[in-house]
Amino acid sequence: MRTDRLLSGMGKALAVAAIVLWSIFPIAFIVLSSFKPGRDIFAVPPKFFFEPTFAHYLNLWERWGSFFDGLLNSLIVTAGAALLAVAASSLAGFVYSRYSSRMLSGSLFFLICIRLIPPIVVTLPLFPMVNWMGLNDTHLILILLYATFFVSLGTVLMRTFIDQVPRDLDEAALLDGASRLTILRKIILPLVAPGMIAVAVFVVVFAWNEFLFAFIFTATKAKTAPFVLSEMISSVDGVDWGVLFAASTIQLAPVLLFVIFMNRFLVAGLTAGATKG
Amino acid sequence: MTLNVTRRHFLAGSAAGATMLLGRPAFAQSKTLNVLSHLVHQNVLTKGNAGDVIAPWRETEGAEISWTTLDSNPLQDRLFREASLNQTDFHVGYVIDNRVTPEIAGLFEPLDSFQAADPIEDFDDIAAGLRSAMTVGGKLVGIPVRHATQALFYNEALLEEAGVGAPPTTIEELVEQAKKLTFTSKAGTPVVGMTLASDLAVFPVMFARAFGGDFIDSEFKVVPNREAMEKGLSVLADLFKAGALPRSYATTRNDDMVTWLQQGRAAFGVLPFARFAQLNNSEQSAFPGKIKAVAFPGSAGGAEMAAVVESWAMAIPANSADKELSWSFIKAVSSKAVTLGAARNGNGPVRVSTYADAEFSASQPLAKIEAATLAKARPAFPAFPEAVRAQATFLEEVQLAVLGRKSPQEAVAAIVERVTPLLPA
Repeated sequence: MRTDRLLSGMGKALAVAAIVLWSIFPIAFIVLSSFKPGRDIFAVPPKFFFEPTFAHYLNLWERWGSFFDGLLNSLIVTAGAALLAVAASSLAGFVYSRYSSRMLSGSLFFLICIRLIPPIVVTLPLFPMVNWMGLNDTHLILILLYATFFVSLGTVLMRTFIDQVPRDLDEAALLDGASRLTILRKIILPLVAPGMIAVAVFVVVFAWNEFLFAFIFTATKAKTAPFVLSEMISSVDGVDWGVLFAASTIQLAPVLLFVIFMNRFLVAGLTAGATKG
Repeated sequence: MTLNVTRRHFLAGSAAGATMLLGRPAFAQSKTLNVLSHLVHQNVLTKGNAGDVIAPWRETEGAEISWTTLDSNPLQDRLFREASLNQTDFHVGYVIDNRVTPEIAGLFEPLDSFQAADPIEDFDDIAAGLRSAMTVGGKLVGIPVRHATQALFYNEALLEEAGVGAPPTTIEELVEQAKKLTFTSKAGTPVVGMTLASDLAVFPVMFARAFGGDFIDSEFKVVPNREAMEKGLSVLADLFKAGALPRSYATTRNDDMVTWLQQGRAAFGVLPFARFAQLNNSEQSAFPGKIKAVAFPGSAGGAEMAAVVESWAMAIPANSADKELSWSFIKAVSSKAVTLGAARNGNGPVRVSTYADAEFSASQPLAKIEAATLAKARPAFPAFPEAVRAQATFLEEVQLAVLGRKSPQEAVAAIVERVTPLLPA
């Protein structure tokens, strides 16, 4: 009996170790390679022990100033998209939670349908329109697009969170003379803050890493970091893998730390409404 | 009258102001030339041994250059999309020769009238093959500015280790040496004789041309010499069977070739001459100074070898706002002085006279070989609307032949049958 439990425990531990190794290997390879001398990155047999170097980071700084501009653009766009998406989703979630009509049910279905459309379908027809509006190569267009693509998911998520807030609280506040906006601001939103953070986490992860919209709608001034990374994989004069891995590490770090710190909200967001009877 | 600003008004005003700021037009300067190119095009004009060679033009014109740089495929996509609008802010775009189909050429301003009114210095000095690739339907749509001509690279240290005294001068010798160089080196690295990317038509075309064949000729005839193409594919299949091509051939890409050569995992590889510096870069390569290049050899009894060349050209979108300024820039970049300066900064020069410059020739170990190869080189295939599908079909059949799933004869017959309907009528 004891041996069985021991074997079962070892089996589970091995399975977990294999999954962790599988998941962490690409990230570890990129991070470690960014500190390896260039000629050792793809050495055969692989070199696991090496003298770390910061040369790739220095080269990145000297040769790819545009990457750091891209990081700043990514930060502006990500923050803007997260704020807009959270604000719109919270307001919409409140309406869907507290009001009901046939029109609202229909619009919710429509909202979910929009989420199912592959971005590429709307991207190319949008290009001439965005150009006509003078929004090409601006932060605003990316903020609008990223927020738009997450408002549907965010709204559903926020409605689920707001559903969990007892309506008795609304009614008590109404009796005390509070307006709908006051109820939302002073009662509902503070109680659903974890939901708002969960929506923000989803948007931040998406916006920070997004490539397609940035590729189509930016050129110079609003170019984001993933777009600059793609430029480093040059088909004309070759790839400097060390520099590319250094840039990838810098690109990866903020969002990884953000997700680690916000992990509990992310789990709350994913399980919201799971036990609703 | 009092101005009563409430908190709501203030917030609304701030939001509107911020929106207007975020939404400002991208290009606001008056005398700015907007160029859409690859980063390498910007660098060869502004950085390197010769310094900023386009500075005199900026001073003369009193204009700034705003570079928007992208990698090759995204660059072509963006340029063609911009050129399809009613108007674009870009004045000059860099195009790849094999993308300029008649439809694409229609998006760009014909340059013949500019050339007639204000000609480029010694225009005939630019390699004839590159100029003709940019002439579509009798109209000149781009001015060649950079070329990448394929060479045969070899690792001199591995050749010495295997007892091979000199690089091959015929394709038959190349096959023999590649097989001999499929071994485990003294350092313990398993070496393959040859590495080739399987996703580009360039490589099988080079092997077919070694026997006097081709994929699609300038008259749009598919496989004009079947026997030569069959021989080329037979050689590749033979190398794969002997283990002289990697087992991972079907998934090998261009960057893998560079890495394999740098790490001493392959003795031979086919890459543009311009990759010489990267292959010998001491920060990246395990064999700095030991990777050398020769012209890709033809068959002992075959026709003259024509290497594959890919070129870039500068074009003016037909919807561009200031075409005079665009032409002024193109003319300056195409001048002999700037071509030489850009070459010293690492560009593949399109002018024959640049290779004749004594100082440049002395500083570039491959200059003479490259000039001789360029003189005979031509694109892998001419541009046409279904070129992408034709290349994919060709590569599919080539891979089947190399991996031994089809005989070279069957593969060539299938190439002719499947690609012919894709050609322009």
